[in-house]
Amino acid sequence: MTTPLQQLKSTSTAPIVRQLLDDPELSPVRCLYIHIPFCFHKCHYCDFYSLVDTRDRQQPFTDRLGQELAALAPLTQNQPLRTIFIGGGTPTLLQPALWTQLLRTLDDHFNLAAIHANDAEFSVECNPETASPELFDILRAGGVNRLSMGAQSFNPRHLKTLERWHDPKSVPRAVALAKTAGIERTSVDLIFAIPGQTLPEWDADLATALTLGTTHLSCYALTYEPNTAMTARLKRGDFTPTDDDLEADMYEHTVKRCADAGLDRYEVSNFAAPGHECAHNLAYWSQSSWLAAGPSASSHLLDPQGGGWRWKNQPRLDDYLHQNDNGHPRAIDLEPPDPSRLLSEQLMTAVRLREGIDLDQLLENTNEPTANAVRRVAADQLARGCLQESDSRLRPTDSGFLVADGLAREFLSVL
Amino acid sequence: MPIDREHIRNFSIIAHIDHGKSTLADRLLQATHAVSDREAKEQLLDSMDLERERGITIKASAVTVAHTADDGQEYMLNFIDTPGHVDFNYEVSRALKACEGAILVVDASQGVEAQTVVNALLAFSQDLEIIPVLNKIDLPGARPDEIAMEVEQVLGLAAEDCIPVSAKTGAGIPELLSAICKDFPPPRESLGDQTRALIFDAIYDDYRGVVTYVRVFDGRLKVGDKIRMMGLDRTFIITDLGKYTPKQTRVKELGPGETGYFVAAIKTLGDVRVGDTVTLDSNPATDPLAGYEAPRQMVFCDFYPATSDKKGNDFEDLREAMEKLQLNDSSFTFQPVHSEALGFGFRCGFLGLLHMDIAQQRLEREHNLEIVQTAPTVSYKVLVRGKGGISEEIEVHNPADLPDMGQVLEIREPICNVEIMVPNEYIGDIMKLCLDRRAVYKSQQVVGDTRQMLTFEVPLAEIIYDFYDKLKGLTSGYGTMDYEIALYRSDELVRIDILINNEPVEALALICHKDRSVQRGRVLLQRLRKQIDRHQFEIPLQAAIGGKIIARETIKAFRKDVTAKCYGGDMTRKRKLLEKQKKGKDRMKSIGSVNIPQQAFMAVLDTGDE
Ligand SMILES: Nc1nc2c(ncn2[C@@H]2O[C@H](COP(=O)(O)OP(=O)(O)O)[C@@H](O)[C@H]2O)c(=O)[nH]1
Ligand code: SF4
Ligand SMILES: [Mg+2]
Repeated sequence: MTTPLQQLKSTSTAPIVRQLLDDPELSPVRCLYIHIPFCFHKCHYCDFYSLVDTRDRQQPFTDRLGQELAALAPLTQNQPLRTIFIGGGTPTLLQPALWTQLLRTLDDHFNLAAIHANDAEFSVECNPETASPELFDILRAGGVNRLSMGAQSFNPRHLKTLERWHDPKSVPRAVALAKTAGIERTSVDLIFAIPGQTLPEWDADLATALTLGTTHLSCYALTYEPNTAMTARLKRGDFTPTDDDLEADMYEHTVKRCADAGLDRYEVSNFAAPGHECAHNLAYWSQSSWLAAGPSASSHLLDPQGGGWRWKNQPRLDDYLHQNDNGHPRAIDLEPPDPSRLLSEQLMTAVRLREGIDLDQLLENTNEPTANAVRRVAADQLARGCLQESDSRLRPTDSGFLVADGLAREFLSVL
Repeated sequence: MPIDREHIRNFSIIAHIDHGKSTLADRLLQATHAVSDREAKEQLLDSMDLERERGITIKASAVTVAHTADDGQEYMLNFIDTPGHVDFNYEVSRALKACEGAILVVDASQGVEAQTVVNALLAFSQDLEIIPVLNKIDLPGARPDEIAMEVEQVLGLAAEDCIPVSAKTGAGIPELLSAICKDFPPPRESLGDQTRALIFDAIYDDYRGVVTYVRVFDGRLKVGDKIRMMGLDRTFIITDLGKYTPKQTRVKELGPGETGYFVAAIKTLGDVRVGDTVTLDSNPATDPLAGYEAPRQMVFCDFYPATSDKKGNDFEDLREAMEKLQLNDSSFTFQPVHSEALGFGFRCGFLGLLHMDIAQQRLEREHNLEIVQTAPTVSYKVLVRGKGGISEEIEVHNPADLPDMGQVLEIREPICNVEIMVPNEYIGDIMKLCLDRRAVYKSQQVVGDTRQMLTFEVPLAEIIYDFYDKLKGLTSGYGTMDYEIALYRSDELVRIDILINNEPVEALALICHKDRSVQRGRVLLQRLRKQIDRHQFEIPLQAAIGGKIIARETIKAFRKDVTAKCYGGDMTRKRKLLEKQKKGKDRMKSIGSVNIPQQAFMAVLDTGDE
């Protein structure tokens, strides 16, 4: 049931999609995100939308998802997709038969030529505990060529602090199974600055992850998101959060340790061997267009007239199952295209990225006073050694990465 | 009820907080049938709620009831509330001025407390007859005999004169009423034809303007009279005259010895001065009644709007709210100030700490404002070298206004007489605390078997710092204290300047004793360090006296200011988060490129850890 208030705040996106499709200048959308909202158990730090114990709703969900995908597909204009990312939740909790159904739906509605040729990226988030040869074979046959393993930590004590339920030994097993199934690329997700964690313990986690032979690591400092159990426990005084200086030490250690292993930082929290960056995430961070399906999934669609549409699917599974306007669910947080907002978003993410940004190109269509203000901020950040310039792009320096939020706020304050 | 002067009794009820003053007043209303038994529970409260909703002031400062004594004679009893918290002795004393007697309520299980003593002393000093009452005798822990001895020992009121009562069950109330009629003297005779009435309270009412409470000593007041306020020399015409019984009851006139209120189209409390004498314009008295001194503001602090838009609307909102508040409370002062750090605000003067807290809370609650308050300081008398070698005295109640120390000959500060009541086992700790706070020991008196009353002279500046909290802490809450300002005395006082990132911050400057300056400065810097977020650069915090650094702390530069996640595709969320952080920063006050949160200005107030 949707409350009247939610109904009031939510919007149907069907007319927007129709309008975009009618625009002859629309460029084909080449990226797709799918959200699978199921988990075994809710990890205490997690604020993603997911439900536990919903086996009976997996089938209706997969059916409904199929309708949404079909409704979105025309926006790709049958051009081959460059990236697909299936996240959650725990996508690998979906029963194998439903995976088969989902992958078939994708094949039916989208051009997966590049993916099947291994020229494009198809990632799935995987809980190592759910890995099985049967599932991985299905994924591989459907075109999946990259798995992102949620390890978080290899230390049972810290996994317990996070209330993350899996046996650390399942991670190497899952990585090996992926290889066997022919899924070449794996990434491992880790969390640091867990209360009580020491620098040597974090180093041990990193070492374990690196010996798995992955070519991509995501290392996130634990963030206390509002409305999570972890934050409630923090407020209650159950534990002391990690000291700021130790957290900075851990982060700097991460950068160095990864570099030594040949994984370069290409975003604040992401490290990859050359060519193994996550193309899907890079699409987000460079404000490309992407389609998003499933409850709570966020879309971004560039408008041919400038700026981009953003919205987020209503995050409740029940709403998702029952709201259907020509295949589209209702959305919240709708933001119509606004070139100046797009500019803020681009600057906001550029300061977090190794590839940085080409400022001249970015400001091409921006009015003079705004462009000058942005240039002044950039010049100041360059002078302070937070940014550097190479190949006519501005990029964060080592110290710039550390204060990326501050840099972003400085840009936002002149926009 | 026309009643002759001989049968009028004017009295107040005084007590230490929670000893049962209000409950006893209710019981008296009930026993004199001013309210029915049912009303005593429901009606009274209901009508008060109604009044509150309509924004009419509910407080009746004086209640008049009729009582038929044992001998069949009818009496008019006027009992005058001692308004507000008894922290403001001046408010109690103004009520006592209108009375011949006082009922001193002492909790029979708690015994004589500091406020009991101070209030009793006030009543003695005004020559009032006192009836000591031991309340709460229904409690299992009541020790009326022992407490009666305490009353005798400490206050010199005969133990056998104490009346044991329970304001809860009504036990002893008839005896109390007899004593009121028998022991309290009637009002004195009118001294002449010229009307003189003492103003002992005034409240503001949205509908009628100022309602003024008076006690008539000589002559009469009637509706239609043109009255003159002798002190302010202003005239008004009485449009309404009445009493609270406790329902509002109009009367045609108030005669000698009577108590009541009048309304006279007076628009603000500034036009009425408590303690002033009212006389008739047609036949004015030559001398006013012995009034009392106007209340003196002893504690000062700044109020600033927490937000400040460029147009200055926030400042204007604050000004408007302060003006409204002053309609209700004429005993605080305010004048505009400007501070480098906090922008435009007001320097405010209050009677005491509690008064300051109440004003701040009312501004926030009733006027929906967010206020930044600076640490309170007392008012100093400073002797400075004037022109031509003649020294002159100036009043300083803002540390930043203290002239250059080269000019200063002497700084004098307000000193209080403090009565402290403590269980014997804590005496050592309290002595130590007092000496630590520059107190001068005066006397010590035994109270019962278990407690003593200590009297000290303590600088007000120490009291407003953390004296009371410390006293409560050291005595597990059993110690009580009360104080009144007694004199000004000079001491070796210095101004500590606080520098943040090498910039002096006026709003954080403080005056304190030289011997305590290093300690005070260090504590303040430690608190500041916790309040100010790390910045991109290292921030030195320094305390200095006349350019000499006496303490320092450093806020290390932060090393990391970046959230781990960009929230996948949910860019909206990330952007909103950054914008919110930016707004938070905009709302902070910025000094020398350091963002200082508003709480930091209160850091000086925080007496939690030392
Ligand atoms: N048991 C008992 N409680 C009482 C008595 N008189 C007052 N109280 C309680 O003591 C508390 C303080 O009473 P109150 O009249 O508000 O005290 P005030 O601060 O002096 O006005 C209240 O909880 C009353 O109910 C009494 O005679 N017996
Ligand atoms: S498995 Fe992932 S999505 Fe599910 S609760 Fe844990 S962190 Fe959240
Ligand atoms: Mg009371």
